[in-house]
Amino acid sequence: MLVMKNINKIFQTEDIQTHALRDFNLTVNEGDFLSVTGPSGSGKTTFLNIAGLLETYTNGDFLLDGKDVGSLNDNGRSKMRNEKIGFVFQSFNLIPDLNLFDNVDVPLRYRGFNAKERKERIEANLERVGLASRMKHLPSQLSGGQQQRVAIARALATDPRFLLADEPTGNLDSEMAKGVMSLLEEINQQGTTIIMVTHDAELAQRATRTIQVKDGRVSELEIVSAQAIA
Amino acid sequence: MLEIGLILRALMRNKIGALLIALQIALTLAIMVNAIFMIQDRNQQMLRESGLDETNTFYLTNTIFGNDYNNKVHLQTDLHAIRNTPGIIDAIQINAIPLSGGGWSMALQHEPGDDKDTIGSAVYMVDDHALNALGVELIAGENFTAQDIQWREEGTSKWPPKTIITKAFAEQLYPDNWQLAIGKTFYISQTQPIQIIGVMKALQAPWNGWTGVERSMLVPFQMESKNSRYFIRTEPGRRDEMMPIIEKLLAESDKERIIRRVTTLEETRKRSYRQQNATNKILTTVIITLTLITGFGIVGLAIFSINRRTKQIGTRRALGATQWQVMRYFMVENFMISAIGVIIGVIGAIAINMWLVSTFSLSPISFDLILFGVISLFFVGQLAVLYPARRAAKISPATATRTV
Repeated sequence: MLVMKNINKIFQTEDIQTHALRDFNLTVNEGDFLSVTGPSGSGKTTFLNIAGLLETYTNGDFLLDGKDVGSLNDNGRSKMRNEKIGFVFQSFNLIPDLNLFDNVDVPLRYRGFNAKERKERIEANLERVGLASRMKHLPSQLSGGQQQRVAIARALATDPRFLLADEPTGNLDSEMAKGVMSLLEEINQQGTTIIMVTHDAELAQRATRTIQVKDGRVSELEIVSAQAIA
Repeated sequence: MLEIGLILRALMRNKIGALLIALQIALTLAIMVNAIFMIQDRNQQMLRESGLDETNTFYLTNTIFGNDYNNKVHLQTDLHAIRNTPGIIDAIQINAIPLSGGGWSMALQHEPGDDKDTIGSAVYMVDDHALNALGVELIAGENFTAQDIQWREEGTSKWPPKTIITKAFAEQLYPDNWQLAIGKTFYISQTQPIQIIGVMKALQAPWNGWTGVERSMLVPFQMESKNSRYFIRTEPGRRDEMMPIIEKLLAESDKERIIRRVTTLEETRKRSYRQQNATNKILTTVIITLTLITGFGIVGLAIFSINRRTKQIGTRRALGATQWQVMRYFMVENFMISAIGVIIGVIGAIAINMWLVSTFSLSPISFDLILFGVISLFFVGQLAVLYPARRAAKISPATATRTV
């Protein structure tokens, strides 16, 4: 479970103070598929960065899986990211010099799994996204949709409790976007909690919950029934 | 986990930059090791003992311009006066100064004749006070007696019948047992017999670059010349004090001469090895410059690589890499590039050394020196990459979600 209470994030430069999040309150339950929408600059990405422990917050309380995130140092946050969170980025963020196998291997190495276990996990997850036959290919040899599938396989390889997706279909055409969304839905149905930031209202509708972020606050909360999606 | 396989595969897809740095490291290693080797070789040359009591000896040139001068009497008078000055141990007239760069050389041969093998040696013309004045140690045989000393007239080719040689010279004459040289008669100037009556521990020739610099011989000659050198040994620690006293003594005892070039043996040694010292300084500068250039090259490549991979580093951090793991990635990557450079460099260093050995008759490079070069280059590499690696480690994981 992810609980944020009165989270504030202030970016401070010499002259300007920007409130990216203001008294941000949110609870994400296990198994949720939460979509986060909102206009540009509303604070969606800041929320995702804080939720994914990529960035610290100025004040407030944040519990992730019952752990007070505020008490963690940089190493603790890295460890928690690796163990509990998987990331899917808009521009895939695959390492261009590494083939698919090695790309999926990256977080597993940080986790300290042995070679045998890593291999099993890599193969299983590439199989899961339908790219097991191309594990020796470089990212540049794949389509955008395939690259995003590899990114999803990489995110899932460590068995995270939360999958955080930042505009996961933002760089894909509609057909590929549908495929990726279907994959995310499938993953959610298998028990992984997903938080997805998106501009696309249609995609947002496919989540089980949708929130809108405006001026750094959760301005609207709509519960979508699971049946409605089905 | 050191990610060696991942780093290697990533490097293989971006070969050029890494290869250039590896080659730079290789070149630096090859040059560094051989330059240090040359410096060591020169240092060893400079550290060779001349055999003299260098700290307590000096010499001067006595130039007579007066006419109606009895050189023989004059020489005896001067030496007597110098030897009897308090603070002076002994003094001699000598034809050449060790390490000064100018002197005499002759060759000895086992049998007379112009087609026989000879061994060259520096020749010092001295009297029976030479061992004491020079501060050399007689390790076998005997010294000249006063009766052995002959006057050498200018233009003569006649040599006295006795000589004292250095141990290095004796070893050259009798490689199996140098002591066999004592009492043996050799031939100088092809046909003139000369008997070895004593062996000195060491006395270097005037030419430090000569391969036979350790081969010297004393012959009991005094020279009847208007231009002669006096070699003077003082009591320990009194050289600087005695130099002006002797200069004044000689100058005041006779106004028809000039006393000049009052010089210590230490100055002569310094002047003698000036070129070697300068070369060593140049080589040291080359080593430092090359190492710095390589270090800066590594810093440059690492910074470029980090700037190019900012988002990638952010992504790695997002995927769970700690700051240390990011730092270690770049240090391991640099270590691998250095390793490639070092392997090529070791081969290059040995190849250059083989060429130096065959061309300049130097000794082969030692394993220790290669090891030193290898460790130094790895150290420089790791030191150089430390700052960029720390910078990389500071990249925020949030970079992964930004457009960089």
